Amino acid sequence: MSAETTSTIAKVLKPTILILIAIVAISSRLFSIIRFESVIHEFDPWFNYRTTQHLVKNGFYEFWNWFDEKSWYPLGRVVGGTVYPGIMVTSALIHNILHFFNFPVDIRNICVFLAPMFSGLTAFSAYLLTKELKDSSAGLLAAAFLGVAPGYISRSVAGSYDNEGIAIFLLVFTFYLWIKAVKTGSAFFGLLTALFYFYMVSAWGGYVFITNLVPLHAFTLVLMGRFSNRLYVSYSTFYAVGTLLSMQIPFVGFQPTRTSEHMAALGVFGLLQLRGFAELIRGLVTPKQFRTLLKTGIAIVTVVSLTILTLLSMSGVVAPFTGRFYSLWDTGYAKVHIPIIASVSEHQPTAWTSFFFDLQMLIFLFPAGVYLCFKELKDEHVFIILYSVFASYFAGVMVRLMLTLTPVVCVSAAIAYSTLLDTYLEKSEHVLATTLQGGASTSAASASAIESTSASKKHGTKSTNKDTSETKPHSAAASSRNNNASEKPKRFPIFSWDSRMMVILQLTWFLFMFAWHCTYVTSGSYSSPSIVLATRGHDGSQVIIDDFREAYYWLRKNTGENTKVMSWWDYGYQMAGMANITTLVDNNTWNNTHIATVGKAMATSEDVAYKVLRQHDVDYVLVIFGGVLGYSGDDINKFLWMIRIGEGVYPNEVKEQSFFTPRGEYKVDHEATPAMKNSLMYKMSYYRFSELHGGNAVDHVRSARMPAEGPTLSVLEEAYTTEHWLVRIYKVKDLDNIGRDLKDATAFDNGKARKSSLKRK
Amino acid sequence: MALVLTLTAILSSSAFFSRAYAQSNNPSQDVLQKKVSRLQAKAIKNKGVIELDTNSFEEVLSKPRNYSMAVLFTATSPEYQCVPCLNFDPEYRLVAAGWTKLADKSQLFFGSLDFKVGQPIFQKFGMNSAPAVLFFPSDKAANQAPERYDFARSGFIAEPFAKWVNAKAATDIRIKRPIDLVALAVKVLSGFAFIGVGYLLYKKATKVSGSKYLWSAISLFTIFIMISGHMWNQIRNPPYTIPGRGGRSGFIAQGFQNQFGLESQVIAVLYAALTGCVIALIGVVPRIETPALQRAAVWVSMGLFIFLFSLLIQIFRVKNPAYPFTLLFK
Repeated sequence: MSAETTSTIAKVLKPTILILIAIVAISSRLFSIIRFESVIHEFDPWFNYRTTQHLVKNGFYEFWNWFDEKSWYPLGRVVGGTVYPGIMVTSALIHNILHFFNFPVDIRNICVFLAPMFSGLTAFSAYLLTKELKDSSAGLLAAAFLGVAPGYISRSVAGSYDNEGIAIFLLVFTFYLWIKAVKTGSAFFGLLTALFYFYMVSAWGGYVFITNLVPLHAFTLVLMGRFSNRLYVSYSTFYAVGTLLSMQIPFVGFQPTRTSEHMAALGVFGLLQLRGFAELIRGLVTPKQFRTLLKTGIAIVTVVSLTILTLLSMSGVVAPFTGRFYSLWDTGYAKVHIPIIASVSEHQPTAWTSFFFDLQMLIFLFPAGVYLCFKELKDEHVFIILYSVFASYFAGVMVRLMLTLTPVVCVSAAIAYSTLLDTYLEKSEHVLATTLQGGASTSAASASAIESTSASKKHGTKSTNKDTSETKPHSAAASSRNNNASEKPKRFPIFSWDSRMMVILQLTWFLFMFAWHCTYVTSGSYSSPSIVLATRGHDGSQVIIDDFREAYYWLRKNTGENTKVMSWWDYGYQMAGMANITTLVDNNTWNNTHIATVGKAMATSEDVAYKVLRQHDVDYVLVIFGGVLGYSGDDINKFLWMIRIGEGVYPNEVKEQSFFTPRGEYKVDHEATPAMKNSLMYKMSYYRFSELHGGNAVDHVRSARMPAEGPTLSVLEEAYTTEHWLVRIYKVKDLDNIGRDLKDATAFDNGKARKSSLKRK
Repeated sequence: MALVLTLTAILSSSAFFSRAYAQSNNPSQDVLQKKVSRLQAKAIKNKGVIELDTNSFEEVLSKPRNYSMAVLFTATSPEYQCVPCLNFDPEYRLVAAGWTKLADKSQLFFGSLDFKVGQPIFQKFGMNSAPAVLFFPSDKAANQAPERYDFARSGFIAEPFAKWVNAKAATDIRIKRPIDLVALAVKVLSGFAFIGVGYLLYKKATKVSGSKYLWSAISLFTIFIMISGHMWNQIRNPPYTIPGRGGRSGFIAQGFQNQFGLESQVIAVLYAALTGCVIALIGVVPRIETPALQRAAVWVSMGLFIFLFSLLIQIFRVKNPAYPFTLLFK
């Protein structure tokens, strides 16, 4: 086959393969749609969905100025100023474009399918990025890996309408543009980087990763003595435009000039200006004068900048690190100081099993790719190395940051894998010819190895010519600087065909295994919408548990928009989105005190809790109870966090210690402590539970046999309990109309005499 | 109601005064005094900790008792395989050693009761797990119930424990960790090594190639450590390993989201070996000139690669028994 036919076929094949990869990436994210229905998943997506609906219905300005009085009652929330609007604006834009062309697609379906669609784009940007690092065949592998890697699928299945869904695409694409900018030194690509950086800032709080990684890259290059005008132009464009743009997002505001997370970027910007200025001066004065100037200049700048920084941070203009960010470095910090951060399961550290589960064979191909980057070590490889090291640290600290690690793992595993393929598929003559070329230039060739025919020589020269023409001027400059290292040692082809066959077949087999693994993990672990649960019945048939939606639907149909429903914050977004009622706290955990108040109401006795409920006009209280079903993520299991957060603000009224038995156990059966038994949460969860199974009720989550006589309620009455008891809704009683204590009134209604109350008075 | 409360308060406080008054010229006061000084001597001799058994426990905690007492319920004998007991024991002794520095040593004592010699006491207090620390307030305190130290929340470290004891007994125990000479020497030496390497690097700063291998080693090492769950160990502080029992290998922790220190190190080594195989296949094999030798190298590295990958999957299957895929082993 001639070289021309090959390149024509490659031209057709590459787009075809990329389109196929996109199709695979999208379709492997559709498990939940096929199993359940087109529904928004989990918690945060419900808020994004609700705001998107608001945006589509009322327009952009209304959305920007939206004050949502239906959440955080009675405080309300300034939604426009406290969200990353990227994802909502994206969906609304798609919605409007489709409607402009008269495609009446429901906004819900756009939201449901947004993340899978963007995963196709992510795969494409992984291709572009890897192409810059090695070649297009490695790029195709990287695209395929990232398309199906569970580490990314976990947050981008259909229905998971969350910021990460589009943010990972933006992350990879911004990095691609940045590398392109550094390679070409063009202000155009610097500008594009800044634009996509802006999009990223508008979409996800994880933009801080870019804000720090790109300056770190620039700084490392300067340290390595690779300062160039290309770097100067690209970074200055990126920083100036990117920062100004990012400040247009109200939620970010003046943070880029005031918080420590953004100071590194500013510092590197200043450093590059000074470095560029020094280069300018160097051309104008004699070397000796320059040296003196440089020394004094460095001293003055260091002293001045240190003084300014100290003054600024002392006067409070530059804020210290925010808690969430700080907890990344000092891992013990969150546990001690911020229970609300520590309580979130995706903020937990990552065990090794999670790494393997999410990346399978990529996890050990990845270091090999990093090693290959070190062998090349051009500017863009430095970037990948830095990205790898820091992302693996962050992924180790927080499960959630697996998401930022996955792209770089896919890229560098693809580099390793495609180098393996290159080595074992390459034609022998080709390798010999390049060896000959390399040997001639270093005059260290061994004649014995060269058994090349004249034909292969011709082939060799051709390819070498092509190589040199392809090499970018800067890489030549870079390699000339470390001349000694670039002397390539001799390479030989793989002589025996059986070795080649074995390696290639085995590698192909591993690819199959990887694909199976990804499908298995996606289908089994990451495709659950978590508002609809599926289990197997005794006969193996599938049972759908739809209690959440049942309860929210009841609320929607039986209460008004202004009904205030209290629940733990996890369910706030879902209630607002599905039940259309007013909530006290929700997943945007901005006000710790308010959450602690709810925690206090849940953890204290009825009398104390009733005061809190009255003060906040609560009409209904909602709890999740998994004891009947064996659903372990219920409120009793989350109760310790409520207590802990409540204790943080009300240390006199809530005490964690009193919920543990003297042996230090957390019990709910007859051994439960008085504080536990009297708490509102306990009472609401187990109210009338003992009547199930004729007084032999067993809590299947905590495998505890409950006492025959269950708790009684006097300030609340049961309003609704769903089919599997998963959600229980209680109505808060109004004050007694003849002024009795609610406890007495209930006792009276139940036909019991008012026992000791008379005597006490 | 309020009246009743005030009355009780007055009554109780007067009772307190009268008792205090009675105590001062009570003949049993001398006995108590003797007991305290005996305990003091015993404790000072043993660096602050009084080793208890069933009899001496009852004696020491018998009333009247004008001192408070912290007792560590532990099981340090090797047959009990109580890893946290062994971990906490030196920390507890550290706090007790801080007690010996106190000016007033009569208010609080530290005791340690091993399961081996104090089984009945364990049963009496319904202890079904060790270690546990109970704080017995002196009989002057309003609340006489012993309080339990919460390990789950505060961890097995001396500092929070000292804080807890200080709050309970109104003492001011300060912990002074002994200087670990070996660790200090290692630190000093590594400091020098660091400076030396830095100096060498500085000398060769112009030659990037000189430090390239160092940097790649550092980066790869960091990556291997991180992807094998080192940060999890840092934050969760699991035991390094537990001894094997009944043929079950002891270094793999039960449960998908759980791991031991040794386990993550084994995984790190496995990953490093697997990566090493890949690098051998890419970097070493093509440099071998003799065809026969090259073929051997390919087969060996690929064989090792497959073997290690199967091993990794096998370990993963221990953690996640439902995982359906295998490579070599069934």
